[in-house]
Amino acid sequence: MFHWLNWGDVMYFLSGFFEATVYTYGVILLLLYAMLAILSFTNIRLYQKKDSYTDYKVIVGSPLAPGVSVIAPAFNEGLTIIDNVRSLLTFDYPKYEVIIINDGSTDDTLEKVVREFSLEKTDFAYNEKIKTKEVRGIYKSTDEAYAKLIIVDKENGKAKADATNAGINASSFPYFLCTDVDCILHEQTLQRLVRPAMEDETKRVIAVGATLRIANSCEIENGVITKINAPRPFLARFQEMEYIRAFVLGKMGWSLINAVPNVSGGLGMFDKEIVIKAGGYDPASFGEDMELMMRMNRYCYDNKIPSAIRYIPTTLCWTEGPTSLKVFMRQRTRWGRGLYQLMLAHRKMFMNPKYGIVGMVVFPYNFLFELMAPVVEFLGIIYYILLIVYGQVNWPYAIILLIFVYTYSIAISTLAILWDHINAKYYNNIWDVLRVSSMVLIEMLFYHPLIVVFALRGYFFQMINKTHTWGNMQRKGFQKKGAPKPAAA
Amino acid sequence: MWKDLSDLLWQAYEQFGFLPLFIQIALIFIGLAILATLVAYGSILFRRWQGYVYEKRVNFITPKIEDMITEQVLLNEQLGSVPVDDIEFDPVPLSDKIYKKPWVRQIVIDVLIQYRKNFRGEVGDLLRKLYIDMGLPKDSFDKMKTLKWERKIKAVMELTQMDIPISDVTILPLTNSQNPSLRAAARNAYIQLSKNDPFKFFDIATEPLLPWDQLDMFRIITTTKDIQIPNFSRWVSYSTNKSVVSFCLKLIAHYDQKSAIPAVMDLLNNKDHYFRADAITCLGKLSAEMAEVRLVKIYDHQPLICQIEILRAVGQIASGKYLEFLKHEFSYSSNFDIRMNAARAIINHDSDESRVIVNELMNTTYEENRIIIKHCLNPLIK
Repeated sequence: MFHWLNWGDVMYFLSGFFEATVYTYGVILLLLYAMLAILSFTNIRLYQKKDSYTDYKVIVGSPLAPGVSVIAPAFNEGLTIIDNVRSLLTFDYPKYEVIIINDGSTDDTLEKVVREFSLEKTDFAYNEKIKTKEVRGIYKSTDEAYAKLIIVDKENGKAKADATNAGINASSFPYFLCTDVDCILHEQTLQRLVRPAMEDETKRVIAVGATLRIANSCEIENGVITKINAPRPFLARFQEMEYIRAFVLGKMGWSLINAVPNVSGGLGMFDKEIVIKAGGYDPASFGEDMELMMRMNRYCYDNKIPSAIRYIPTTLCWTEGPTSLKVFMRQRTRWGRGLYQLMLAHRKMFMNPKYGIVGMVVFPYNFLFELMAPVVEFLGIIYYILLIVYGQVNWPYAIILLIFVYTYSIAISTLAILWDHINAKYYNNIWDVLRVSSMVLIEMLFYHPLIVVFALRGYFFQMINKTHTWGNMQRKGFQKKGAPKPAAA
Repeated sequence: MWKDLSDLLWQAYEQFGFLPLFIQIALIFIGLAILATLVAYGSILFRRWQGYVYEKRVNFITPKIEDMITEQVLLNEQLGSVPVDDIEFDPVPLSDKIYKKPWVRQIVIDVLIQYRKNFRGEVGDLLRKLYIDMGLPKDSFDKMKTLKWERKIKAVMELTQMDIPISDVTILPLTNSQNPSLRAAARNAYIQLSKNDPFKFFDIATEPLLPWDQLDMFRIITTTKDIQIPNFSRWVSYSTNKSVVSFCLKLIAHYDQKSAIPAVMDLLNNKDHYFRADAITCLGKLSAEMAEVRLVKIYDHQPLICQIEILRAVGQIASGKYLEFLKHEFSYSSNFDIRMNAARAIINHDSDESRVIVNELMNTTYEENRIIIKHCLNPLIK
């Protein structure tokens, strides 16, 4: 069979095709990073110029400020819930409410907040605009000091999405801020996020995001960051560097051309009307934040609403990054599943001019350079191994290409750190800057391979439809200023 | 290993012209990437050093400037006995060489602005005189001549804070600048500086007045002393700039300009339903009883956003004439938001008649509606 085929020629053709494809792919990716570096720099400078003469106090005393509902789901957060809620009640903003959703906690989360904040169950007219698990009760405080606080107690929906949807249903303002209850937010978060939504001349801003950082090793007092430190644990430090690159360089760059793919679940402000019309968060999705953004975009294009998603470079949220490999693997596997699921669900948008920049840029970029990147890398490694086995590697050229990729990735990441530095000097200590930037040098050897493997694991699980179990994040809590360090076990 | 690598790179350099194109490109990019990385690290260190030096300079000079201001202005013995314009400053400290340096002059301006925010009256006027006598307006006007919009904004803000007039020829074109930030700063400056007609730019405004800019403008209009507040219905009737009209509606409501009600009611025919909703909100805040009949009449033909605003407005006007209408909407609407707002509107009436209706509804309506009423009656829920 196929005796007429010369297998040597076929293999030669295939390897040539593969090499050319991967080379083109790599060159485009690197050029895209260079483009993002330029775009993000331009956007950050623009933001900085505007920010230099902005007096945010104006909005604090204004009757024209739009209302914002802060929505934070909580599941078994009994250990830290009181500090978390207190932290969320400290925003410097004239019109907001804080909605904590107790998502069927099995610990004493609800009892603690009820006791601490003098809450009582009310006859709250809950309008289920988005379908959720049953709401058991809604609590308000009898203490005027906590009048902004609402607690929604509901059955566990096995997803943050379901709890957030319940919060959206109970909210009363036109914008909502979605966050995690244990995230630490800057007191100016609301005023800074509202601004881009209020100053777009031609488009309806449907979502606004800001930079997130890792809170591990920061000093925190009463739910407020008092000193920013670069994370000490290696894994968390890698994530800090990754976040700076993703938010300051990536999302700020995309934001300039209105092509932001996603607003992080840790911190994002959304236009409630559009979210509800788009159907709210999907509890079945593993990447519910990005999935919602896609649907919101889709809704706006389908209904001819000129829309925009904006990002600001200021860090407004600190979150605890996983420090154990197991938890990190679970997180990244879930993200991988979410991306795969999303691409499949919204495949009709791929290169579809009807969806404008989302269909022609955002979707193809995410498909080719986010979803496919781990696959291409994995195939590349297999191919490399085969070449080594068959003695086909031109070592001088191979080393030059490796150095090229290595130095380029270092340059891009270092530029991201510089851009971050231009925006604001977060670390008082130069050693903190060096600690984070040194991760760039070893990222390719240690951190990046992990991300590739975990993403592929996620794709595989999604392909075989493996049942997902929602693991606990196993947070360690934050370092309190002056608090004694826990004794070693 | 390093020797091998350097040999390899040296060989690559020598043979560069003979190498395949993709390797040539890779080598060029390696060079660029290393350069970019080194520049980035250098910039980080330089910026930190620069910040440190600037901070040190500011910490050194600011107390000196503050001492000078305290001596010349706050502790000036002539203050109160001599008209501010006739007060002469001690020329010796002002002629100090240090005040010739541009960066020091900029700090002087910033400190003076801070002081002027805290001092009004004669002290404020004397601070302004010091700014003029030190020749600082020239620094600000020089900034206005640059092409950089952010420098222009800084200049406009400095001159405004120091109450230095800017000619209409200079400032009016900026109120329609394509740059939204410059436009906003110029508009705010115009309101604060123009003595005769601070809202003149509303007549010529072709560019939008963004919601964010409205915040500051609203604050300026409502807090600036001695400002001539016009009847904003003028622009409601004649302006073709929707954002200006929308802003005027907010000002009409704030100043309770009841004479503007007919002009606002004309907007109920506008095709843009967001615009109509703004007009209805304004009528509600004005408690425009004369508009109530019209609002109820158009209710059935409006989109949801306007219907909700009508219900709110009827609740704010609270004449009692349309309680039956509200009761009907509450009882028969299938829309949750309509029922919620109708209930609120009935309760807002706060009259014997409305209380009777609330009791009646509590006894006759179904469970979900009863919860809506309880929700609206509960003082804990706002």
